[in-house]
Amino acid sequence: MMEGTCPLALLAAGTEAKVTDVRAGRGMQARLLGMGFCPDARVTVQCADRGSIIVSVGDARYALSRGIAMKIFVGIAKGSA
Amino acid sequence: MTREIRIALTGNPNVGKTTLFNALTGSRQHVGNWPGVTVEKKTGKVSRNGCEFEVVDLPGTYSLTAYSADEVIARDFILDEKPDVVVQVVDATNLERNLYLTTQLAELRTPLVIALNMADMAEAQGNPIDYRKLSGFLEIPIVRTVGTRGEGLQDLLDAAVKEAKTSPHHEHTIGYGNEAEEMIAKLTDPLSADRTLSGKYPLRWLAVKLLEGDENVLAKVRGGAASARVQSILSSINSDEYEATMADKRYEAIAAILPQVHRTNTRGTTFSDMVDRVVTNRYLGIPIFLALMWGAFELTFTVATPFMTVIDTLTVWLAEFAVASIEPAWLGSLIGDGIISGVGAVLIFLPNILILFLILALLEDSGYLARAAFIMDRPLYALGLPGKAFIPMLIGFGCNVPAIMATRSIESEKDRLISILVNPFMSCSARLPVYVLFAGAFFGAHAGGVMFFLYVLGIAVAIASAKLFRSTILPGEVSPFVMEMPPYRLPTAMTSLMHMWSRGSMYLRKAGTIILLGAMLVWALASFPYGVEYGSAESFAGMLGHLVEPLVAPLGFDWKVAVALIFGFLAKEVVVGSLGVLYGAGEESLTDALFADPSLSAATALALMVFVLLYMPCVAALGVIKKETGSWKWTGFAVAYGIVVAWVLAFVVGHLAPFFIGGA
Ligand SMILES: Nc1nc2c(ncn2[C@@H]2O[C@H](COP(=O)(O)OP(=O)(O)OP(=O)(O)O)[C@@H](O)[C@H]2O)c(=O)[nH]1
Ligand SMILES: [Mg+2]
Repeated sequence: MMEGTCPLALLAAGTEAKVTDVRAGRGMQARLLGMGFCPDARVTVQCADRGSIIVSVGDARYALSRGIAMKIFVGIAKGSA
Repeated sequence: MTREIRIALTGNPNVGKTTLFNALTGSRQHVGNWPGVTVEKKTGKVSRNGCEFEVVDLPGTYSLTAYSADEVIARDFILDEKPDVVVQVVDATNLERNLYLTTQLAELRTPLVIALNMADMAEAQGNPIDYRKLSGFLEIPIVRTVGTRGEGLQDLLDAAVKEAKTSPHHEHTIGYGNEAEEMIAKLTDPLSADRTLSGKYPLRWLAVKLLEGDENVLAKVRGGAASARVQSILSSINSDEYEATMADKRYEAIAAILPQVHRTNTRGTTFSDMVDRVVTNRYLGIPIFLALMWGAFELTFTVATPFMTVIDTLTVWLAEFAVASIEPAWLGSLIGDGIISGVGAVLIFLPNILILFLILALLEDSGYLARAAFIMDRPLYALGLPGKAFIPMLIGFGCNVPAIMATRSIESEKDRLISILVNPFMSCSARLPVYVLFAGAFFGAHAGGVMFFLYVLGIAVAIASAKLFRSTILPGEVSPFVMEMPPYRLPTAMTSLMHMWSRGSMYLRKAGTIILLGAMLVWALASFPYGVEYGSAESFAGMLGHLVEPLVAPLGFDWKVAVALIFGFLAKEVVVGSLGVLYGAGEESLTDALFADPSLSAATALALMVFVLLYMPCVAALGVIKKETGSWKWTGFAVAYGIVVAWVLAFVVGHLAPFFIGGA
């Protein structure tokens, strides 16, 4: 079940979540969708203690600046392992 | 004989396109474990079983909607050049995302073959792919390949030949749901009236791209027969929404297939994740990076020293022998004083250069390079550049020419221009001989530390200049940082040594051409007009040097150094080559000759190294700056700015150094 949504940038390291919406503007939007940041994709924050974060989508790992991570909205899955 | 078949290699970044290209065509294009290595199209030929192939390697891209300059190259080639077959190289360890691009390529209805690359990795992870079944689902031929071991090449070419002769292609397309399909149908109707466009691209593909709001396709439609009606349809829709829902449908279609061909649960915490927790740690990240760099320059200096001594002794002996025994005397002088001393002075540094290249190869092949960009993102962002800009900077340690090209993957034009302008401050390998020579002569045991200082100074000047440009002539937002972090891979000795050698041999080639030319030129200037004492103030070299000397005298440089600096414009190694020629072949080596010259002190040597580090891009770098910026104005600016910065910093360093190194 979802507990409401928030930007990916606000998640702590280790949190697993599901993408609900991506609003990154022309060009970047297509790039992010192509990388797998698409509605319903499962993402996990790997590292969040710097200016940018590392997120995993499937078996891929991406570094995203916080600005971009603010434009990807996620819902946190309850009781996610 | 059949005609030549043109194959384009496309796919996501870092999936092994260039590795396959090299294996297929026997080329030696650059490969590395980070996204964005290839930034231009490269062509190679191969013939097998009486069939001729032209293979084109393209930059990687995540989708057919291009964003950065390198992606535009990849997209335009696929769309406009119409290769006979497109081979999409797919990373078998990351199927879902890779197949997203496949759905877009299939919609284009181009002849398509999938090379299921990195199959070895997928199998090693205990997750092999039933690719025959997958091929059936997708209606696209799939060949298992392992680029690094050259497996599957013949099958790939066979599949390409077959696909090139098959038509039509891919009746099967993704369904996008009622709402989107209705819009697609609405758009297809006016589009079919545009004969030129509908003759070139499938109508459905055009409609889908328009619905996604693809600027490039929109531009193609504009002005054509369909323009007015298409635009009126599009004005009523929100293309961002369609783009997201259609992406969703594509991933849904992929997700419906994948569980039937392999295990789809993700792998959880991997070895790479654990390494990343340490090397990207908030407190440890930058210290680890600096420690690695310091270690690298220590190694470059210490490991190479014994080899250098051998080459040095050999050149001195050879030069002396040539001067003494070759008749007539002028020829002996040309060969001994000119060619052997000049080129030899540069060749001595081959061991250093090789070690530097080996270290850079390890940096690229291991996957750490992408982490360095991540670590530096915050400090760079504060100064006005995205973290991605750090990659061209590090590549610049090898050579600024490919480094400036590598800026193509930076999305924003201004960020890219700034990255290009500051890149020459990154100390390329051609400057290494100058440091090794002078640091070795004047700083002895501290040579490694001095070199580290110079490299860091280069980074600092580059970053400070970026900040300056950002806040004055090129203001604007820093483009956001988005970059894939590839899994760490243990570089094999073979690939890293190959890397080292392919660049090391370029250094040798340079020594045999432009450096040789520079040495002969300086020798001629030092020998004429006829009758003057070799290398004296009355020779042409002396006159030229004395002409420029006043400009560099405040830095403590004499006319010989001035001449060397002028010719260093050809290639930075020529600075050393020219000094080798001007100091002539005595019984002592160039190091000793420099040390014995009363006009040179440790402080001057340091100022000289700083000046050479910063003063001017070499001819080749200037050429590529012009090519990538497309502007003489910016090229001229790069030169002028470099000279001013070099002069000021060399002056400061030269005058402050005595206080630190206890007089000169
Ligand atoms: N294990 C394994 N590694 C591979 C294989 N093919 C390529 N690699 C490695 O994958 C990395 C990327 O290879 P490249 O050929 O540079 O990839 P690319 O697709 O050309 O990358 P870009 O030009 O950046 O888009 C390198 O470290 C290769 O050694 C393979 O089949 N198996
Ligand atoms: Mg490549």
